[in-house]
Amino acid sequence: MLSTLIWLPVVGAVAVGFLPGNHTANRLRFIALAFASGILLWSFWLLRQFDLTASGLQFQEYISWIPQLGLSYSLGADGLSLPLLVLSALLTWIAIYGSGEGVERPRLYYPLILLVNSAIAGAFVAQNLLLFVLFYELELIPLYLLIAIWGGEKRGYAAMKFLIYTAVSGILILAAFLGMAWLSGSGSFDWNSIATGDLPLTTQLVLITVLLVGFGIKIPLVPLHTWLPDAYVEASQPVAILLGGILAKLGTYGLVRFGLQLFPETWALVAPGLAIIGVVSVIYGALTAIAQKDIKRMVAYSSIGHMGYIIVAAAAGTPLSLLGAVGQMVSHGLILAILFHLVGVVEKKVGTRELDVLNGLMNPIRGLPLTSALLVLAGMASAGIPGMVGFIAEFLVFQGSFSAFPVPTLLCIISSGLTAVYFVILLNRTCFGRLNNSLAYYPKVRWPERTPALILAAIIFFLGLQPAWLLRWSEATTTAMVAAFETASNPQVATAIELPAKK
Amino acid sequence: MVQTPVKTVTKLPPSSHEFAPVIHRLEAGGAMLPDTPENLMQIIGLYKAYAVPMDFYWRDLLYIAEQVFLEPFPFFKYFLSQEYLDRHNHYAGDDADLRIWRGEATAHPELLAFMEKGETFKMPKLFHHLWHDRINMEFAEACMRAMLWHRGMGGQFDPYLDTDEYKANADRAIKAYFKFNPVMLGLYKLFPDMFLEQVRQLSYYANLGLFWEVMAPVFFEMSDRYDEGSIKSVPEAMNFLVNGIFAIAGRPIYHHVYIRGECYEIIPKSKGFMWLYEAALPYVEAVFYRTAPFRGTKSYNAQAKQVPEDQKDFHYGILYADVFPVGTAGIPPTQLMQDMLHFLPPYLVDYYSQHCRGEDDMLIQLGISFQRSMYCVTSAVIQALRTALLYPLDDPNPKHLMANRKFFEAQMDRFKRPEARLRDIQRQDYR
Repeated sequence: MLSTLIWLPVVGAVAVGFLPGNHTANRLRFIALAFASGILLWSFWLLRQFDLTASGLQFQEYISWIPQLGLSYSLGADGLSLPLLVLSALLTWIAIYGSGEGVERPRLYYPLILLVNSAIAGAFVAQNLLLFVLFYELELIPLYLLIAIWGGEKRGYAAMKFLIYTAVSGILILAAFLGMAWLSGSGSFDWNSIATGDLPLTTQLVLITVLLVGFGIKIPLVPLHTWLPDAYVEASQPVAILLGGILAKLGTYGLVRFGLQLFPETWALVAPGLAIIGVVSVIYGALTAIAQKDIKRMVAYSSIGHMGYIIVAAAAGTPLSLLGAVGQMVSHGLILAILFHLVGVVEKKVGTRELDVLNGLMNPIRGLPLTSALLVLAGMASAGIPGMVGFIAEFLVFQGSFSAFPVPTLLCIISSGLTAVYFVILLNRTCFGRLNNSLAYYPKVRWPERTPALILAAIIFFLGLQPAWLLRWSEATTTAMVAAFETASNPQVATAIELPAKK
Repeated sequence: MVQTPVKTVTKLPPSSHEFAPVIHRLEAGGAMLPDTPENLMQIIGLYKAYAVPMDFYWRDLLYIAEQVFLEPFPFFKYFLSQEYLDRHNHYAGDDADLRIWRGEATAHPELLAFMEKGETFKMPKLFHHLWHDRINMEFAEACMRAMLWHRGMGGQFDPYLDTDEYKANADRAIKAYFKFNPVMLGLYKLFPDMFLEQVRQLSYYANLGLFWEVMAPVFFEMSDRYDEGSIKSVPEAMNFLVNGIFAIAGRPIYHHVYIRGECYEIIPKSKGFMWLYEAALPYVEAVFYRTAPFRGTKSYNAQAKQVPEDQKDFHYGILYADVFPVGTAGIPPTQLMQDMLHFLPPYLVDYYSQHCRGEDDMLIQLGISFQRSMYCVTSAVIQALRTALLYPLDDPNPKHLMANRKFFEAQMDRFKRPEARLRDIQRQDYR
C-alpha cells in the first residue's frame, strides 16, 4: 500500500519524461497532474483505512533487500507520518497545478517534482535507517536541479548552497545512524531493532547531537539556517512550496522519529538546550522577517520562526505538545504553501517582490483583490488568528509545552505576536494604499492561478474549525510515544526533566 | 503630442509655460485634449453614456427640490414620479424653448428600459432600489453637496441664499409645508437655521437639476452628430459645446416648490440668475476642480497635511482625480462609472475590451475616458470665458493675443500641481 506512494510518482516521472511524441507543456502538466491526483487519492484512501486507535505502525511492508548491510525495504506509517504523507501529496499536486501552462523543459521539470514527492514519501514511511538515508539523499538531486534550472537570478548560488548544506546534513545523519547500529551491536538498520538504551550516556549524547545537527540543517535551526533564505527565495514558487511545505518537515519528522523515539533517555537531557535553540529560531525568524524588504524573503524567515515552535514542542515531549508538533508541521506546510503561492502570483503579475514598490493591490479593479484578500487570510492564519489551522497548532504547542518549558513557551507566545507585526507590515504595504498610476497595468489573475490558494484557504479554515480532522490521526501515536518516552526515562533523566520546570 | 489640425497664424513667440503645447493648441482653437480619432470616439461615447443617467439625475434633482422638499423621511426620493419622467426637457422635443437635441423631450428610452429591468430582471421598483440595481442618484447628490459645501465660487446665486429676502421666501415655504405638522413647526421654531440650511441645499438641488437639464440634450445631440459623421474632431466637439454654452447662457436658474398644488417661489425666475454664471461655472469649479477627496485616496488626519486647509485649494475634481480607486464601494466615482457602464455605445465596449483587462476593468477605462471628456468640456468653458471676457483667437492685435495667452496660461497654472491629469491625457496609453 505504502509502496504505491513511492512508486506511483516514479511511474509518473517516467511517463512524463519518456512519453513518445511531441507534447505541449500543458499536456505534460496534465499528465503529471493526473499522477499527482492519483497519489493524493491514494493518500486519502490510506487515511480512510487508518486505524485511529492503533498507536503503532500500520500498512507495514517488509522485503529483505541487502541483509549483509542490514538494509531492508521496510515501510510503515503511524500517526506521525500519515498526516505528513497526505500533506506531501497535497502540496505536490498544488506545486504541479500551480506551475502554470508554459513551464520550460516540462519533460524534466514535472518528473523531477514527482521524484521529489517519491523520495519524500519514501523517507516518511521508511522503517529502516539506511533506507531513510537513501530516500533522504534521493530528494536532494531533483531539488537541486529544480532550483538550479528553474530558479531566480541567483539560482546557481542558492542551489549549490542548498546542495552543500543538505549533503552535509545527510552525511551527519548517516554517521549517526551507523554509530547507532554499530555501537549498539544491532545487525540490522531496521528502526525497531535499534536500541540505544544500553549505550553509555556520553555516546548517546554524541550520537543524538550529531543527529540533531543533521536534522537541524534540514529544518533549519538557527544558526544552521543560512541556506534557507537563498534557496526559498531563488526557487520558483512551486519549488518553494515543496521546499518549505514538505522538505523542511523531514527535519522535524526525523528529529521526533529518530531522536525522541530512539533516544528516550538522552532526549530529556538535550531537550532544554533544544528548547532554547527553538526559541532562538522563533525570535530570530520573526525579527529578521520584520527587517526584510522582499516579501518572499520575509515569508522564508517566517518559516524559520514557525519551525521553531515544532522544536520547542518536540523538546517538551508532553502528549499535548507532541500532538501540537504534528499539527504545527501540517499547519506550517499549508500556510507556507499558500503564502509562497500568493507571493508567486504577486511577483508574476506585478513584476516585483519589493515592499517599497508594491502598493495598493487590494484595489478592486486594477489590483489583485482576491489575491490580496487571500494574502490577508494567509497572514492571519500564520499569525495564529482563531478559526484557522495556525491557531489550533500553535495553541496546542503553547499549552503542551508550558508545563515543561514555561519561559521558552512564553517567549514563543510573544514571538507569535511578532508574526502579526511583520504580516501587518507586509499586508499594509502590499495590499493597502494607492496603486501607482504609472505602473499598475498588471495582467489579471486567472482562475487557475487562484485555485491553489482557494483550496489551501478552504483547508486552513476547515482544519481551524474542525481541528479533530487535523489531530485524530496522531493522537494515539503521540500518546504512545510519550508513554514509551516516560517509561524509558531513568531516575537520572527524570531529575533532568524536572530541572527546567523548577526554573 | 498630437497637434490639432486647426491652424492659425500665431503672431506671438512660443510660450515658455510648462504646458506650452497645450496653450498653443488652445490659441489655435483646439482643446486641452489632443485631437485624435481615438480621443474623439472616447469623449463622444462617454457623453452619450453620461447623458442617459444625467436624464434621470436632473429630473430627480428637480423632483426632490420641488416636490419632496423637506420630507422628514425621504425614503422614496429616488422613486421618480411619472410626472417627472414625462416632464418635457426645455431643450429637446417639439415644444422646446431651444431645440438642442432632435430626440424626445421625455425621459430617454434607454433610461426607461434600464429602470424597468436594471442589470437583473423586471421586478417591483422597491426591489430594484434595495438591490441597488438602479441609477445611483447618490452621485448627483454628491455633486450637489460639493457645490453647496464650497459655496462662494462667484455669481449672485450663492450670496442670495443668505439674504433676508431668501430667508423670508424659505420661511413661507417651510411654514406652508409643515402647516399640519406641529412637531416639525415646533422644531423649526427651535432650530430655524437647520431648516434654512436644508432649504439652501434644496436650492442647490434645483440649481444642479436645471444645469443638467441643459447638458443632457447637448450630449445626446453631440453623440447623434458623431454617429452621423458631422462631428469629426475634438475641436469640433468642443466648439459645439462652446456654441451650446452661449446659446443657453441666459437660461434662468430658480427654485420653485409645490406644496399642496401651490407654487412657492423660493428663488423666483425674476431674480435673473443666469445658467452660465450661477450654475455652469460654479459646477465646473466645484465638481471638476475642487470637490473633496473620496475614501481611500487621502488621509484625513490633519497631521498628515494631505488635505489643504483652505477650501479653494481643494483639487480632487475629475480633472485631478485618481481614477484607479474606481470600483471601491460607495465612492461617487464608482457610482457614476457604474451608471455610465449601462449605457456605453457598442463601439466603446469593443474598444475597452481590447485594452488593459478588457471587460474586467472597463469601469476604470471608462473613468479615464470620462476624465478626457471632462477636459474637453473644461476646454469649452475656458474658450467660452475667453470669448466672453477677452479677444477672438484671430485678433490682429498682438496685445490682445498676449492677453489671451496670459488668460490661457493662468488657466493652465491650475494644472501644474502633480495630481493634475492634464499631462496624462496627452498620452493615448493612459487608460
